[in-house]
Amino acid sequence: MKRRLALNGLVGLVGVAAAQAPLRLAMAATSATTAAATAPDLAQAVRERLQQPEWLRGEFTQTKKVAGFAKPLLSRGEFVLARGRGVLWRTVKPFASELRLTRDEIRATQGGQTSMRLEASREPVVRVINSLMFSLLNGDVGGLTELFELSGTVKGAGWQLSLTPKPGALRQVLKQAELEGDAFVRRIQLHEANGDESLIQLLNLRPDAAPEPGLFQ
Amino acid sequence: MSLERVTRRLAGLWLVLVLACAAHNLWHWGFAHRAPVTDMLAMLPRDEQRPVAAQATQALADAGSRRVSVLIGGGDWGAAQAAADAFLQALGDVPARHRVGDADQQRWLDLYAPVRQGLMTSQARERLTTASTATLADQALATLHQPVAGPRVGSWAEDPLGLFGQWLAERGQGSRVRVQDGRLMLTDGSDPGCHFALVLIELPGSGFEIGAVRALMPRLDAATRAAEARGATVLQAGVPLFAAAASDQAEREIHTIGLGSLLGIVALTLMAFRSLRPRLLVMLSMAVGLLVATSVTLLCFGELHLVTLVFGVSLLGVAENYGTNYFSARQGLPPVERWTMLARQIPVVSLAMATTVIGYAMLALPPFPGLRQVAVFSATGLVAAFVTVLWWFPLLDGQGRMAPTRFAEWLGSRRARWPSLGARGLTLLGLGTLLLAAAGASRLRVDDDIRQLQSAPPALVAQQREFARLMQAPGVAQFFVVQGETEQALLEHEEALTARLRAMGLGVQAVSDWLPSLRRQREDQALAARRMTELQPVIEERLGQPVSLGRGAAGELTPRAWLDSPASEPMRAQWLGWLGDGPASAVLLRGAESRETRDALAALRLPGVSWVDKVGEVSDLLGRYRVLMIAVLLLGHALTWAALAWRFGRTSWRALAPTALASVLTVALLALSGQVLQLFHILPLLILLGLGVDYGIFMLEQPGRRETRPFLSVTLAAASTLLSFGLLALSGTPALRAFGLTLLFGVFLAWCLTPFFVPDHD
Repeated sequence: MKRRLALNGLVGLVGVAAAQAPLRLAMAATSATTAAATAPDLAQAVRERLQQPEWLRGEFTQTKKVAGFAKPLLSRGEFVLARGRGVLWRTVKPFASELRLTRDEIRATQGGQTSMRLEASREPVVRVINSLMFSLLNGDVGGLTELFELSGTVKGAGWQLSLTPKPGALRQVLKQAELEGDAFVRRIQLHEANGDESLIQLLNLRPDAAPEPGLFQ
Repeated sequence: MSLERVTRRLAGLWLVLVLACAAHNLWHWGFAHRAPVTDMLAMLPRDEQRPVAAQATQALADAGSRRVSVLIGGGDWGAAQAAADAFLQALGDVPARHRVGDADQQRWLDLYAPVRQGLMTSQARERLTTASTATLADQALATLHQPVAGPRVGSWAEDPLGLFGQWLAERGQGSRVRVQDGRLMLTDGSDPGCHFALVLIELPGSGFEIGAVRALMPRLDAATRAAEARGATVLQAGVPLFAAAASDQAEREIHTIGLGSLLGIVALTLMAFRSLRPRLLVMLSMAVGLLVATSVTLLCFGELHLVTLVFGVSLLGVAENYGTNYFSARQGLPPVERWTMLARQIPVVSLAMATTVIGYAMLALPPFPGLRQVAVFSATGLVAAFVTVLWWFPLLDGQGRMAPTRFAEWLGSRRARWPSLGARGLTLLGLGTLLLAAAGASRLRVDDDIRQLQSAPPALVAQQREFARLMQAPGVAQFFVVQGETEQALLEHEEALTARLRAMGLGVQAVSDWLPSLRRQREDQALAARRMTELQPVIEERLGQPVSLGRGAAGELTPRAWLDSPASEPMRAQWLGWLGDGPASAVLLRGAESRETRDALAALRLPGVSWVDKVGEVSDLLGRYRVLMIAVLLLGHALTWAALAWRFGRTSWRALAPTALASVLTVALLALSGQVLQLFHILPLLILLGLGVDYGIFMLEQPGRRETRPFLSVTLAAASTLLSFGLLALSGTPALRAFGLTLLFGVFLAWCLTPFFVPDHD
């Protein structure tokens, strides 16, 4: 039985890997003049700067460098972030597809057809992936601290966080992540263990967006 | 030649025979190390026996028989981990598995990654067969861009549709256990916030070795307390726990019921005879019966079934009557008169013996080898015990006069309290019985389900049930055995079967899911290769750059390689190896609990596939034995009547009627007291027939109301039977309880009714 279980761990791990793949941010080293803050202070400083509304809408562009491809893969679209409800990631270009992460499942759809579905009741790792996605996009320091060692700097209204996965499954797929933002997360950069890199930029953020609970039913 | 000289000669001969039997037994059990056959289905008629099914059942049962699984937690995952650590620490050096290293996970990939091109889920096969190239390209590209892309192993270009990851994920769905933080974790499917840590304990040694289980239990209890002290719920499951509970219960009952029974019988003997000698000799007669019966059965059948031993020994209990009758008749006589007494008693006891043996011999009529064994065993045992009484007792009963004790005299004189019932009394008695029988018939419930006989403590059963709900593991009581001429034929048969079962909406656990047939691997490889070739230009165009798709190694997974890999360990129990004419495997099911589903499964006809429902078959067997036993019982009554008529003529019914009434009343009382009747209620009725008719014979032989000896004999015999078999009504084991309860009612009623039927001679 044990190995069968081990496999499930593997599947979970692969799922986490998949979650990491897109998010990446080519982040320049921050100014040497900025003092590095200690972790609790840093968390507090970042938290003070972040707005973190109940509902957040915006657009994204993603640049992904994948082994085996000469040119980087570009995509863009829009997203909705709803605290306690989930994340909607709607790719518009190069073609339409939708990814919805809620408390209970991850579901990918294309032209109204479900192409992939993972249920938390069957795969508990779904919740970990969802919490990771939400924390990265929202800059939720509390959630990030559970999975990463944090270091970083703050400067004026801006902040930058460097995330190193804690020992465990996540470290096997993700080497390092960088977050940068002010009142919102603006750039996310991911360095995967296999060498792939992703940069995600969040644009046109609208914290005043009208709630649409129907999105996450 | 005088009876004494004849008896002395015969006693010597008998001693030689008994010693020979003793030697035979010693050789068989002691030196040849043979054990009784325990498979219930070996009791089926030969042409209905399926050795492959039996071996498959055995192999599956053995695989899990040494494992105890423990779930610890019931709240958040952090608390469950802490409780599991406390549990493991308290468990000490008992080998337990809980943590999973990266190396364990890597073994999966070592086995399957080199052959990944031939592995896909049935949904993927369906999609690759029917979907257009454009649709497939859409799906492939979406996973390239989406943040969460479902399970994937390796790079996107290697497997753009994620076929291998999906296949591995589907394998993972077979179990609810996951690896989290390097530990085995289980989450309640109906409560996502409820997590458990899973600890697996593998006992050393083999099968039901109770020593290893006994050694584990205190450690397990201490570990459980340590985890519970941290507020965790602890659920234990596993065959060893049931073995431990059963042996505890048996031990407790030996201490209480067994001791109570022994003390009662010894006290009764001392009060009636002021000596232990009668009791020791009665026990000797029964021991000789057992010894001879075992030898003769072994000689006839070559083996002894455990059921024969259990049933046979209980049927032998009737031999109690002969010894007791001897001493009741012998009491108060000077030693020299024992021969005249014996000459008088021989025809009576012979008749008593013959009527019983007739009933037992009836068991040999149905074509069940099991019942034939029981018939031979109990009939020879009874004759041997009888012969021991006749030939050895006169030589061993001592030189005393065996003066009647006051208790014996008082007990014998109680006979006078019973009036002889006239026509009116008997009619009333018959009417009363009829009324009770009608009331009983209205409440009569019959159920042969073997699970009725389960006697595990309710707390343990409840834990096991909750464990099964959380794990959603497939059952091993019902399954399919699949066979083929070759391993590949077997796997192809399995694939045909699992496709049918999945179409029925059942959860399936089969070897071929982990080890597809070579034919399927090759077909899938070809399909994947063809679709990749078609996808390549479409994807390149959409991406606007060249990319090389899915050209990985395409090896083949053979049964040998699979079996040699540590990754196959969890499924190896279902690979049954060579069984009968070829390799065989077991296919396990989830969600096949309902009667309709099981019937539908039993009706499935596919090449190389047979349905095994051990619970159903054993229950069915018990039911057939019950029906047969009722027929034997009726026939036994008729033949006994015929034998009685030969000696008692027109009054013979008076010897039989009390027992017949007692049987009817017993069944009625059992039904009225809410018992669900099965074989173990009916079997003792055959013993009751043997016992009760003896009471009738002894009383009818000396019918006078002033005669004390027959009544003393009958009362002592009945009391001993109640103390030995009747006390089984207190047992926690349902089969023994049913047995005891039936004899408790039956023997008491037969004893109580018999004097009413003896005609008044005073």
